[in-house]
Formats: sequence, C-alpha cells, structure tokens
Amino acid sequence: MMALSLFCLGLYLDLKDDLPQLPDSLEKINLSLPTEIYSSEGNVIKVLGQRHPVSLEEISPRFTEAMIATEDSRFYSHSGVDHIGLARAMLKNIRNMKVSQGGSTITQQLSKNLFFSFERKWERKIKELLIALQMEATFSKEEILEAYCNQVYFGSGAYGVEDASLVYFNKRAKNLTLLQAAMLAGLPNSPNSANPFNNFERAMSRTRTVLNRMVRSNFISSFEMEQALETDLELAPPRIQSNPNQYFIQYVISNLENEYGKEFVHFGGLKIFTTIDSRLQQYAQQAVLTHMKSLDKRMAPREDEELLQAAMVSLENKTGAIRVLLGGRDYSKSQFNRAVSNNRMAGSSFKPIVYLTAMEVLGISPATVIRDEPVSLEISPGKSWEPKNFNDQYFGDLILKRALMNSLNVVSAKLVNDLTPPRVIKTARQMGLTSPLGENLSLALGATGVSPLEMAGAYSVIANLGILNEPYLVERIEDFRGNKLYEHFYFGVQRFSQKSIYPLLDMMRGVVEEGTGRVIRRMGFSHPAGGKTGTTNDYKDAWFDGFTKDMATVVWVGYDSNISMIDRNGRGLTGGGAAAPIWAYFMKKALSGKSQVNFPVPEGIRFVDVDSQTGYIANSSMKNTMTVAVKNDVVLTLPPSTDSVQGYSPQEESAGEPLDNLETIEEHVLPEL
Amino acid sequence: MKKAGMMGNLNGIVFFVALLVIFSLEMFGKVVERGVGYYLKWENYSRPQLGRIWEKDREKIVAQKKIETLLSSLNTQETSSDSIQSFKELFEQLNPAVPQMVSRKKFLQLYFEFPEQLSRKIISPYELLEIDSNRDWQRVLLTQLGEWITVSFINNQNYPIREVFMSADGVGENPLVRDIFRGTLEEAGFGDNSILPFSDFMRVLKTLGSETQETLFPDPSWFFSKNYHVTRVGIKETPNSNEYPPPARMGVEYQSDFFTEVLILPVPGHISENLLSQIEIPVIDEAAETVSPFGDFQGESN
Repeated sequence: MMALSLFCLGLYLDLKDDLPQLPDSLEKINLSLPTEIYSSEGNVIKVLGQRHPVSLEEISPRFTEAMIATEDSRFYSHSGVDHIGLARAMLKNIRNMKVSQGGSTITQQLSKNLFFSFERKWERKIKELLIALQMEATFSKEEILEAYCNQVYFGSGAYGVEDASLVYFNKRAKNLTLLQAAMLAGLPNSPNSANPFNNFERAMSRTRTVLNRMVRSNFISSFEMEQALETDLELAPPRIQSNPNQYFIQYVISNLENEYGKEFVHFGGLKIFTTIDSRLQQYAQQAVLTHMKSLDKRMAPREDEELLQAAMVSLENKTGAIRVLLGGRDYSKSQFNRAVSNNRMAGSSFKPIVYLTAMEVLGISPATVIRDEPVSLEISPGKSWEPKNFNDQYFGDLILKRALMNSLNVVSAKLVNDLTPPRVIKTARQMGLTSPLGENLSLALGATGVSPLEMAGAYSVIANLGILNEPYLVERIEDFRGNKLYEHFYFGVQRFSQKSIYPLLDMMRGVVEEGTGRVIRRMGFSHPAGGKTGTTNDYKDAWFDGFTKDMATVVWVGYDSNISMIDRNGRGLTGGGAAAPIWAYFMKKALSGKSQVNFPVPEGIRFVDVDSQTGYIANSSMKNTMTVAVKNDVVLTLPPSTDSVQGYSPQEESAGEPLDNLETIEEHVLPEL
Repeated sequence: MKKAGMMGNLNGIVFFVALLVIFSLEMFGKVVERGVGYYLKWENYSRPQLGRIWEKDREKIVAQKKIETLLSSLNTQETSSDSIQSFKELFEQLNPAVPQMVSRKKFLQLYFEFPEQLSRKIISPYELLEIDSNRDWQRVLLTQLGEWITVSFINNQNYPIREVFMSADGVGENPLVRDIFRGTLEEAGFGDNSILPFSDFMRVLKTLGSETQETLFPDPSWFFSKNYHVTRVGIKETPNSNEYPPPARMGVEYQSDFFTEVLILPVPGHISENLLSQIEIPVIDEAAETVSPFGDFQGESN
C-alpha cells in the first residue's frame, strides 16, 4: 500500500510540470470566430474554423443517450475514471504488450481532445487521466457532455453534433430521430470507415451496435430499437467533394498565410473577399472535365493508369482580377496546384514575347519578310543548335505575321539569335513573368518553365494594349466588425506603347482566325480574340493562351510525370487539339449573352493588305494576301520589280513549301465537346 | 508470546478494516479520484497553459494582435492624411513605398480651400465636376512609380475612374508651389527692405492687367471665407535662380483669429520684373525719413 502510494507520488512529481492548466470555462473552446472566404459575387465559398456550438437543450436527448451508451455507459456514476472499463482495457493492453485499447471515459476523451496529442503512450494516458479527474472536480457532468458533443469529430469535415446533423441529415441536432442519433453516435469512434457517405452498410452495422447498447443501458426498449431500424434514415446528399474553387481557395489561404501569418488567417474571424467568379469557375471545371474525359478515351492505354491533368487561369484584363483558377482535374484526388506551378515549359505560347521584342528592338513589322528554312545557330564556339519546325516542314520566305500564325520554330529561333536571350527575357519581365528564364536560344521555343497564371498575366498585357495589371486574388479583408484591414488598389502600368503592342495583337488574332488556333472558331467561338497555341517537345505540354478584350485565359494540359501525350493512333496531343477546345468551350460559356467587343485600334496604326510571301503591298494578281496592322511609319513597298522591299532579310527566291500547306500545321482530329 | 500474537492479529484486523474502509470509500464515494481531482483543481493556476486549447487561444491572441496592428497602421494613415493642409504637403509625404490615400472630401478641401496653382496643375475643376457627375468617385490614391506620380480618382470598387500622371520632379521642386508659413514676414525671411503695407501693394496691383492680377494674387474669397485680414506684403527675388528675368516670391501676411501667418506665393519672372520695376523699396534708414516704395514721401522733407 505504502509502496503503491510512493509510486503514485513519484509518478505525479515526474509528470507534474507537463500537466496543463484548465480554463475557467469549457465554453472557451467554442469561442473562435470563423474566417469566411467570399467569391466576387458575394457568396461564401469557404469557412475556416467553423463551429456550430449548441447547448445540451438544443441537442436531441436521443443523441446524448446514444453517445453515453456507446462511449461511456457509466458516465453519470464515475468521477472521470471508469474502474471496470479501465481494468478491462489494462488487462487487454498488458496481454498485448501495447496500448491497443483505451477504456477512456467521455471526460478522458475530452481531456485528450483539448490538451494532448493523439499518440498512444502510457505517459500521455496518465496525464489525460489526471486532467479528467480535475475536470470532473471542476465542471458539472452536463458541462462536460456539452463540450464533448460540440468538439468531437464526426467525419466529412464535421466537428460537433450540430455540424454533423447538418452535414449528414440537413437538420438541426435537436430534431434528430432515434436512428439518426444512433448513427451519429457511432461515428466518433470511426469517422471515416463508418461514414455513411463512404460505406453505408458498415455505418448501418455500427448504428445497430449503438442501438443495442442503448437497449442494454435501458435508454430504449427492444421494441423501440426495432421500430427505429424500420424508419428511413433520410441521409442528405453528400456535400460536393470536389469543390471547383478549392485550388483557388488554398492558393488564397497560402498567400495570406505567407503575408500575414497562419494565425491571422485561421483565427482572425476575417471576411476575405476574393476575385473568384464561382460561375466562371464552374464553367472552367465543366470544360476541363468534359474534354479530359474525351481525351482519356483517345489516349493510348498506360500501365500506371495515370490520367492527363489540366490547369486553367482566367483574368479580367482591365483590373488583373483572377476570375478563374483551376489547378487540376479534381482537388479531392490531387491537391497539386498546376495553375500556379512553374515547372512546365511554355512551348510556342512564349513566341509572342519573342516577336514583340523583335518588333521593338530590330525595327521589323508584321509585314517583314523572313526566311523559314533549316538553320544552324551557333550557341558556343564549335557548338550549334538546329531548331526544327513542327513536322519538319519549311516554307521559305514569308512575312512575320504568317510565321507567328503558324508557329514556325525556325523563325522564332532566328529572331532570338539576333536579339540575344537576355533582351527577350527583359520583355518577358516587363510583361510580368517572374519565373527564372533560361538565357539560351531555346527560349525561342519556350523551353522555359512558366505557370499558367504568369502566362495569363502576360497575355492580358497584350489584350490591354501594353498595360500590366498585376494579377491579384483578394479584393479586401475585413475583421468581424467590418473594419477594412486590406484592400486592393489597381496599379495599371503602361509597360509598352499601344502602337507597339497592337501589331502583335493583330498577329495573334491571325492565329485564331487562320493559324494554329483556328479550332476555336470551328468550335463556334465568335468573339474577337487573339491567342497562341503551345506544344512542347515530344508533346509533353499542350497550351492554348488567348484573350478577348475583357478576359485573358490560359489552358495547360499534360501529364504530371512529364511524359509524352500520345493517343491510340500514335499521334501526339498539341495545344490546338488538347488545350484550345477547353479554352473555346469555357470562353463560349463565359461570354454567352455578352456583346462582342472589338479591340480598340490605337492612333498611329494602319491596316495594309500585303502578300504573305513577299511582303509587297497587295494587288489583285496576288494569291496569298493578308491584312497586317503596322505602325504608320513602317514603309511598305509596291510590287513593281524596280522597288525593293523594306524587309528584315534580303529578298531571295523562296525555297520552301507552298504556303497553302501551312493549313495543316498542328491540326489534328479534334474531339467534340 | 500470546499477547504479541494477539497484537499481531489486531494489527492485521486494523489494516484489513482500513483497507476495507478505503475500498468502500473508493467504490461508493470515489474518494481517490475526487481527492486527486480537487488537489489538481487547487493548484490549477500554478500550472503552465499547455495543450491544444491554449495553443488555439494563443493563436487567437496573435491573430487579434495582427488585426490591431493593421487597424492602427490604417488609422495612422487616415489621421495623417486628414491633417494634411496642402497639396504640397501631400506630395511631400509621398514616396514610392507608401501610396497616399485621401478621401474625396479632403481632396476637394485641398483643391478649393488652399489657393495654390498646383491644384489646377493636377486637374481642372471642370474635369473634377465630370468625374463627380456619376456619383461614383470615393477617394483619391496617389502613387509614385519612379519619376512619375499617378493621381487616381477611384470608385467604391477601388477602380480608377480617371488617372492623372505628373512628374515627381516637377512637383517636388516646383518653385511655383504656394505655401503657408506661421509667423510674420520677417520670420519668413523677408527683409525689412522688401516689406510694404498692403494698401501700398494694392495700388500697384490695380495697375496690372486682370489676368496678371489673378496669376499673382490668390482669390480674395479665400481670405474672406476664413476671416483672414491681410496686413502687409513682402517681395523678394528667388535666390540662385538661373532664369531671366528671375522669378520672385511674394509673402502675403495676414491675421487669423489666433495667429499671424504668411501665404507665400511664387511670382513668375515676367510678372516679378514688371512688379519690381514699379515698386522701389528703399533701404530703410531709421534715422532718415520714411519713403514709400512708390517714391512718395511719407514723412517730412528736408
């Protein structure tokens, strides 16, 4: 007896310093104000730290009876420790030589949930027990039971009985039926495996066990149990598991955590008003899922069964507000946010940056003639690079606009070679790209990692005629009293003159009308738009980046494992085939019912019809002509043989394939949406 | 021996009874648990605040402190912008790291109440009327990016309704910007020989064309609206000016209800030349007679 007392005293002295202080009131645990995140339409899209604490009077007595019968049948008679339960658990644990059974009372469970880690250690168990004893000496049974009911986890993201009632049965805790109460009471023990949304049979089996225990504890009769089992459970439909806003929400949270600290976001009781447009986000997810399913069917079967992934970002040009940010197909399956990750190559979608730099620095225009032919570029003494066009097709002389419309790699490489990569990077930075960009010639083909968000920002500069509005996520943050803690202001900066940007914008309209991106027209998207496809080496990434006057939208498609996207016929997926249809489907829905808005033409720009091969001002005898937008001071020449063309490279006889063949570039069988 | 045996039995009985009592008390009264519970309750406040519930509490406190810091910083900004007395001051407080925000009311107050030319350089009053016509204008945001200052008239969505771009150099070192100095003309750096009574100045002002008058002197309504009484005027050339004719600075001294203040005005070179040619401020020799700046003798003649 003495030895036992001394042992207990020694144990207490050893643990004494680790025993936590108890708060004055158990209500304290429910005082945290939730932080609410709103969409741009003013709807709550996420609540952080939400609790619905209720008093015992607001909980169905059936539930508390079921809970007591299941978790702690001698709750009202013990003082924190159930001797019988504890002895049984100890015997079992000694037999197994490990802590496998708790024998914890409701008070002990509450003690553990409020103060201790969930690791199974003897030491933790004793501390939990001591605090349970103190709780019993400090608070009434009702206070303990109420606190327990309000903080225990019921699965499906529901903490507390009120929240659980709403999640599982869409009703208040006070209105639970016997069957529903029994089902909920069975959940804290196994919130995932006995979750009716995941495994209904197991959940019902657990419910029967709870009802049996209620009968044994004399809370109900066998007859009542049978009657309850015959009633309808009235299970509510599960909350949408894959919230399309989830990638955006997580991005907002992580940005705010970095800026202000985790505590501010999760415990500040804030109202965070974001830029996301839930309606557009829904369209984006629809577009991605529909097209991805269609692509899944087309793809060659893979052993690892990895599915294609996609990301989409859409910005409002005049403000930079991020209206859509989708980081993958399904957040519940993969939380990796591909919309903000810069680990994928931009491919040809980077070329507009090269062309803009060339027009600014080299003084060339969309009508300047350049030769598309196999070329060898020196990258260091004795080392050269031979860029190749898609399908190894070369077209000889052609104007710059045509080269961009058809995404000719050789032309882009020649331009970067003349410009030098650092000069192109300077333009990219001016357009808002922040990712590290490799200072090498392959920049011409977009061999550099960028994020869809960055690309959307850069393309919105083109749509905005040179004004950069930094993409942003949060309009304002208020505290729970409505005091403004943060508000976004627009700092639109004119990074390029309108006259410099418009010729590029017009070239990119050509991409959509007659170039590699014309699939969007074939899919019925009729608003004035510009864009650019992007396909990286070996079909690892497919992009379509495009814009209208009001929105810039970027779509990326690829495998997470960065392998080639090859279909059953052995053909690779391109930006035009894999990403552009998603873009078109989304933009059609997003702009449905809205009037078509043309891009304003700045002063100092004129439109001229030119021959797309020679760059001469067009006449009726010419076959391949196109309209180019050039600055007023650009000199264009008439075709007479005496005149020379004001071109970037000297006129030479075309040695390439006929321009008619350009139609076939990057075009593949397109899936129907 | 027998006695010792009996004592031993008695001890055993006492021990057994004690055990029985303790066991009964524990079984029916839970004395051990209650004793431990009440002991722990008694020494509760000497123990540290450990565990999830306190951690959560601390996080709430950290969050609340952050909110208070943000609010206090915003309040300071608001108070400091409310106390700004002139556009000159507003632009001086601006730096690339800290944009300045003023309410529509404050902007209009600065625009119309302080008689300075900088207001018109920012935007014309007619354009202000136009901005205000759609009832959407809430605030004005001033930002500096490099050498450019952007004045954005923003709506309740913080979207700029109108943006005006100004050169920071032009604003910061603009000698034409007017200012108010609290004190007398002498304290504002005007020498005795450059000061004349207001009535004398008025005689010269009347000789100038109306356009020059408006350029030179602020709208009289400003003085009336504030109940300021003009007393004297001082004129001095701007030192170290490379311009020709050199610009000047004019100080209009007035009495407010509580203070003497000087409104310091820039005078463009061509006006200052004209003005100074008409005003001949003599070197005041106290021993000699007082000479009017206009050449009229005010005292006795020898």
